[in-house]
Amino acid sequence: MPTRPLVTRYEDDLKLLPGLWHKAGAVLGLAVALSYPWIVSTRWLTVGNLGLVAIVGAAALMVLTGFAGQVSLGHAAFLALGAYTVAVLGVKLGWPFWLALPLAGGVSAFVGVVIGAFALRLKGLYLAIVTLGLVFLTQHVLLAYPELTGGLSGTSVPMYWWFRGESGSAPSVGETWMLGSVVLGFERKLYFIFLLVAGATVWLTKNIQRSNSGRAMMAVRDQDLAAEVLGVAITQAKLQAFGVSSFLAGIAGAMFAFQQQYVTVEPPFDLNLSIQFIAMIVLGGVGSVFGAVSGALAFTFLSPLAETVGHSIPLINQLTSAQQSTVLLSIIVVLVLVLEPMGLFGVWLRVRRYFQAWPFRY
Amino acid sequence: MALLELDNVGLSFSGVRALDGVTFSIEAGALHAVIGPNGAGKSSLFNCISGIHRHMEGQVRLEGKELRGVEPTEIARLGVARMFQNLALFEHLTVLENLLLGRHQRYTSGLLGNLFWTRTARAEEVRHREKAEEVIDFLNLEHFRWMPVAVLPYGIRKRVELGRALCMEPKLLLLDEPTAGLNQEETEDMANYLMDLRHELGVTQVLIGHELRFVMDLATQVTVLDRGRVIANGPPSTLRNDTRVLSAYVGGTVAA
Repeated sequence: MPTRPLVTRYEDDLKLLPGLWHKAGAVLGLAVALSYPWIVSTRWLTVGNLGLVAIVGAAALMVLTGFAGQVSLGHAAFLALGAYTVAVLGVKLGWPFWLALPLAGGVSAFVGVVIGAFALRLKGLYLAIVTLGLVFLTQHVLLAYPELTGGLSGTSVPMYWWFRGESGSAPSVGETWMLGSVVLGFERKLYFIFLLVAGATVWLTKNIQRSNSGRAMMAVRDQDLAAEVLGVAITQAKLQAFGVSSFLAGIAGAMFAFQQQYVTVEPPFDLNLSIQFIAMIVLGGVGSVFGAVSGALAFTFLSPLAETVGHSIPLINQLTSAQQSTVLLSIIVVLVLVLEPMGLFGVWLRVRRYFQAWPFRY
Repeated sequence: MALLELDNVGLSFSGVRALDGVTFSIEAGALHAVIGPNGAGKSSLFNCISGIHRHMEGQVRLEGKELRGVEPTEIARLGVARMFQNLALFEHLTVLENLLLGRHQRYTSGLLGNLFWTRTARAEEVRHREKAEEVIDFLNLEHFRWMPVAVLPYGIRKRVELGRALCMEPKLLLLDEPTAGLNQEETEDMANYLMDLRHELGVTQVLIGHELRFVMDLATQVTVLDRGRVIANGPPSTLRNDTRVLSAYVGGTVAA
């Protein structure tokens, strides 16, 4: 019977893991996350890596759309900026990945804040259209400088440990390490790096959500007039949301580029990608970090599952496998919207209520 | 010097004269009621004070400082809090979060401090939480602390909105129809809270009301507006039989 510990200090109310059950759940989750690359096949390890990338990207969109209420279709543009930043820094300057990663966020955040400043007066659909324009603009700019970005044919994304020296060779993350009998290949190394980044992202977005900055964003989302009378600087809150969101989106794009090792402009950085991220936060539940994480994981893991299941469903099995997963995921998202508008977060709330009220029904 | 002075304030909306030469002052510690029929300009007056509308003529002075052209955010910082007529709470946030937003302007930690949840940011959060809890205690909102506002009944929401304004520790509290839509019992509760506010916390209040009995019982000073003009001003006892007030409210025939 899970019970809440008695809160005697306000500090205790601010803790992320206040009770024994929370801590137990966190330890269990960490154990699963750490053992995951050792117990699954290569195919599912890749899915796991993409899931971690999706967590960062979805958390980024959650800050902008979920917290600040700014509907954006331009998420793919920020991911593209991050991806190409690390590609160019790696290929042209030989930067190590850990230095290029934050810079990818920085470049993306800079563009995000500039766009945010232009979009301050826009709301709802109008903002969505403008940010949609940003996707096309970014695609054009990236294709306009082929000597830097490789143009249509794309560019490789090296992942160095250290700066590339005069000889042009630098230790790469791609090398397989043998630690005794433990094999640490590229995908496994990526997994642990990504796990760290995703964990940090979740912590940062959670901090926004529970702090004054996040409350200001949500105030702007719910009632901007009242927010202003309370002394919330609306411009500042929106720009902060744009900045944090595009920074994290840039990081997610960079992670994606490292995972793919080779990027082109389109696909993947098109409107479809933006919509996938919106689907993730809708699936998870708009407005919570839990929603971003669960939605991202559910979406990434359902795609290969849908391809597997799709063969045995009449009508759908006549489509290509990519179409199959698109159709099935769309059906799932629509069903979630109809049955549980709060998404997986809403499901979690109901499960929790059930156990809190146990053995009574309500 | 009075806390708030209105000096010949005028405001027009494309031909409609919302406020016309409004002049009166609000003393510190008063519970000052502003009444008048629909469209008399009561809410417009509030909007001028809180900076949402910019008056075209005259002056609104808070402790001698002219408020015209000052941003609403800044006016909030100067100590003017407002309770809206149609609820303007943040529906998806909990009662506690709504109250903490009332303290928003007093937070000093920035985005970076919050992102990394620094010791200073945490200490600040606890400090403001203590203040918010005092308001929760004052308004008996303990049961609803963790509930999102969207699930609460109307009467409680009104109380949360009052609480949010109180969290700003205002010098001047603008109450736009705090009893609109409340039943008898809730209205009495609200009256009690307003009186406690005046006696225990000494907050100066400006109250817009429709319900004459409520206003006349509570207020220390009443200003009557009609079609943007002040038609009477004084303690409630002197206004009860004022013919101009009666004619504005009930119609010309009574005064005749």
